Amino acid sequence: MSGGAATAGVTKPKPRARKRRGAPKSFDRPRYLRVFAAFVYFFLFAPILIVVLFSFNAQKSLTVLDGLSLRWYETFLNDPVLRESLFASLQIAAVTMVVGTVLGTMLAIGLVRSRARWSSGLNILMLIPLVTPEIVAGISALLIFWQIGLQLSIFTVMLAHITFSISYVAIVVRGRLATMGSEAEEAAMDLGATRWGAVRLVLLPGLWPAIVAAGLLVFALSFDDFVLSFFTTGDDVQPLPVRVWSAIRFGVSPTINAIGTLMMVITLTTIALAVMLPRLFGRRESAIKVLTGQEGG
Amino acid sequence: MAGGFWTRFLVPPGLWLLALFALPIGLTLALSFGYVDEFGRAAYDSPVAPGALDNYADAFDPIYLPSLVRSVTYALATTAICLAIGYPIAYYIARFGGRRKYLLIGLLVLPFFVNYLVRTYAWVALLADEGLVNNFLIDVGLTDQGIQMINTPWAVIGGLVYGYLIFMILPVFASLERMDPAVIEAGKDLYGNKLQTFLHVTLPQTKQGIMAGSVLVFLPSVGDFVSATLLGGPDTFMVGNLISDQFFAANNWPFGAALTVIMMVFLTVWMIGYLRAAARETKPAL
Repeated sequence: MSGGAATAGVTKPKPRARKRRGAPKSFDRPRYLRVFAAFVYFFLFAPILIVVLFSFNAQKSLTVLDGLSLRWYETFLNDPVLRESLFASLQIAAVTMVVGTVLGTMLAIGLVRSRARWSSGLNILMLIPLVTPEIVAGISALLIFWQIGLQLSIFTVMLAHITFSISYVAIVVRGRLATMGSEAEEAAMDLGATRWGAVRLVLLPGLWPAIVAAGLLVFALSFDDFVLSFFTTGDDVQPLPVRVWSAIRFGVSPTINAIGTLMMVITLTTIALAVMLPRLFGRRESAIKVLTGQEGG
Repeated sequence: MAGGFWTRFLVPPGLWLLALFALPIGLTLALSFGYVDEFGRAAYDSPVAPGALDNYADAFDPIYLPSLVRSVTYALATTAICLAIGYPIAYYIARFGGRRKYLLIGLLVLPFFVNYLVRTYAWVALLADEGLVNNFLIDVGLTDQGIQMINTPWAVIGGLVYGYLIFMILPVFASLERMDPAVIEAGKDLYGNKLQTFLHVTLPQTKQGIMAGSVLVFLPSVGDFVSATLLGGPDTFMVGNLISDQFFAANNWPFGAALTVIMMVFLTVWMIGYLRAAARETKPAL
């Protein structure tokens, strides 16, 4: 779904890839590979479809589908603790999105434009969180909060989420920034704009598609995050994935299917927006390329 | 002073990452030399104090060592299986996807935006002793009592594969995309045989993608504790379970910190090995 919309984006065709565009001859297309691919898609989607399907089950059974109903969604949304957790997760994701996007964008701009000697060190510091297992990040965050005596709450979860989101945003925004020269800003300044004016009127509008895509991506990642939240949340209000964790360990229940399905809808909507929104900003461009930073290379 | 202006942008995010990422990692290292005092609280100790390395010695105690070894073997198995599944599918899409290439990749990415807990939970519902798969097998008459699938190492590894497969597919797909299909034709002219063409032409050209994918799958797999908790049992616990237990059950933070440091050092060595190997190839993919 998402990929299809993106391919339509008008990117300049690469000369080499287009040379052999017709379908390869049939002898060149091994049938077993197609069967294998079908199997992989089946295994990826089957468990998810089962979660969705059973979330509408009228019975408590997790093996027999017997009639459709919304009772598990009612159970979920009528439970004050779960509802509170849902709102906590949305709140964490929203704050993470805003703060992480601002800081990450600043980092991307600074890394590309600044000639400070320590910026290469900062570049490495920015990359490390991306390859650090979440459990390491979670425990380190827990230790710093403990050390400075900060009570664990959804606020500490936000702090931990913002930390990792800075790197994601910086990567995405930097990918786009690398494709933009500084000529337009210089022209703006020749015409009388101040430096900040050039940033505000020229640089940021150019970066906007990447910033929006990165922000939404970070929202989805934060909303779905379990490990970081698990280590940094307090006892009173817990993010939804942490509640789901306790519930699953307690045993499988149809309510979990409903929570899972609703979370899926929220995440996938965010991702769909991340893919589609940048295309609304004037130029039609491939959102996948914006998100993966492929544009600049 | 053009440089100075842009440097200002680096200060807030730089300070944030220092205070909330670099410093905390340092704290973890510092606490790993510590001990639990008589009130059950974690306390720091000098790394040269007698007994400062006790936590590290404990980690290699026969009680805990199996979890460490298991993490590595499970992560290696996960990486191998992800490669075995991910490579063919990436190859199929890159070579034969045609105009629907990005649609097909998009479809593969989609499940990975479903919460990891929920996805693992789905497998619990499927593989449980009285789960869907066993019910089906009994109904068809293939078995009377069902097969034990959950609480086995394969269930845990399966959960990890399901969790991280996409990290293999995407870099391999990207490296196949970068490849000029004409060289495959040339390879066929030279070697004739399809298998030989694949081994001598395609595979070496996609080595970078394979290496990047392997690292991206291996790193999170080693530290994972969700799959082992939900799909496994005490016999399949990995280092991640051990670490989280120290913080939430055993309440031995310094030992948990030491285990975390051991994992970090191990993964850093792995990472450096990868970066050096990648540097030897043309362009690093990460």
